[in-house]
Amino acid sequence: MSDHHHDSPPSPHHTSYRTRERNKELTQRVERIEALLVAKGLVAKDALDRLVDIYENDLGPMNGAKVVARAWVDADFKRRLLDNATAAIAELGFGGLQGEHMVVVENTPQVHNVVVCTLCSCYPWPVLGLPPTWYKDAAYRSRVVIDPRSVLAEFGTMLDDDVEVRVWDSSAEVRYLVLPERPANTEHLTERELAELIDRDAMIGVARVSAP
Amino acid sequence: MSERRDARSDIAEMEGAASLPRKSGEMVFHNDWERRAFAIAVSLAEQGIFDWGEFQQRLIESVAEAQRDDPQNPSRGYYESWLAALERLLEENRLLGEAIDAPDGAHPQRADVV
Repeated sequence: MSDHHHDSPPSPHHTSYRTRERNKELTQRVERIEALLVAKGLVAKDALDRLVDIYENDLGPMNGAKVVARAWVDADFKRRLLDNATAAIAELGFGGLQGEHMVVVENTPQVHNVVVCTLCSCYPWPVLGLPPTWYKDAAYRSRVVIDPRSVLAEFGTMLDDDVEVRVWDSSAEVRYLVLPERPANTEHLTERELAELIDRDAMIGVARVSAP
Repeated sequence: MSERRDARSDIAEMEGAASLPRKSGEMVFHNDWERRAFAIAVSLAEQGIFDWGEFQQRLIESVAEAQRDDPQNPSRGYYESWLAALERLLEENRLLGEAIDAPDGAHPQRADVV
């Protein structure tokens, strides 16, 4: 479970093939376990609802957006972030990578950064959640290295010819996060409002952040 | 709080055959029983009632079992393997107070998948 691993199992779910009877049987098995555990006080129904909600909705790019927004409004934090991203991100309470280092790369008017994992799908999940499907596609993994401008254009990100594109290859040891450029005319926005503008694709580097 | 975060990291970081089904970064559940089975295992691990590593080990075994005949066409879906792993661990740790008589997936029914 270490080193590089291909993390898309073949056909992980076969729900479409599952019969209604089979689903009913599975539902009953789970209901029975839940009822027994609830009766023993080992799980609570509302706690289970909350967990599903967290994993389905909260464990994701919102954490990275908070990191980026903080860097935009706090120059000292930004310096620490670019200097030692793992530690700076931990200041905001996000972490849990197992030995991998976070590295944050900054977009500027002259340099555009984009992240890939050419070998599999290493990804900074504590700040970005689970990787999108395309991130794991062989097409993205190979093409973004060979021809990043075309791939970025397909994502709607057009770069001028004089902008340097840097492609960062994630590994089991290092996970990259792009610090996108703060859009113009956002001086009046609060840190929280800024965070809402920042999406996952901008932090992978395939998109820019737009002003509201 | 940090223990809870660590449990979450272990869960989200699962790789290989045990990694969570996902689509565009979001978790994929097809049925409510999948959500419940997921949440039960996570809740028990977060409370320290069983160790996440223990569950993960059984999950890996369970997924491998389903892929034994044909790795490209597992005999059951991911969360069915998840449920089998959960049942097995609960049984081993005698957490249910009664034996589970449901099929544990050791002989998956071929009819489930085409």
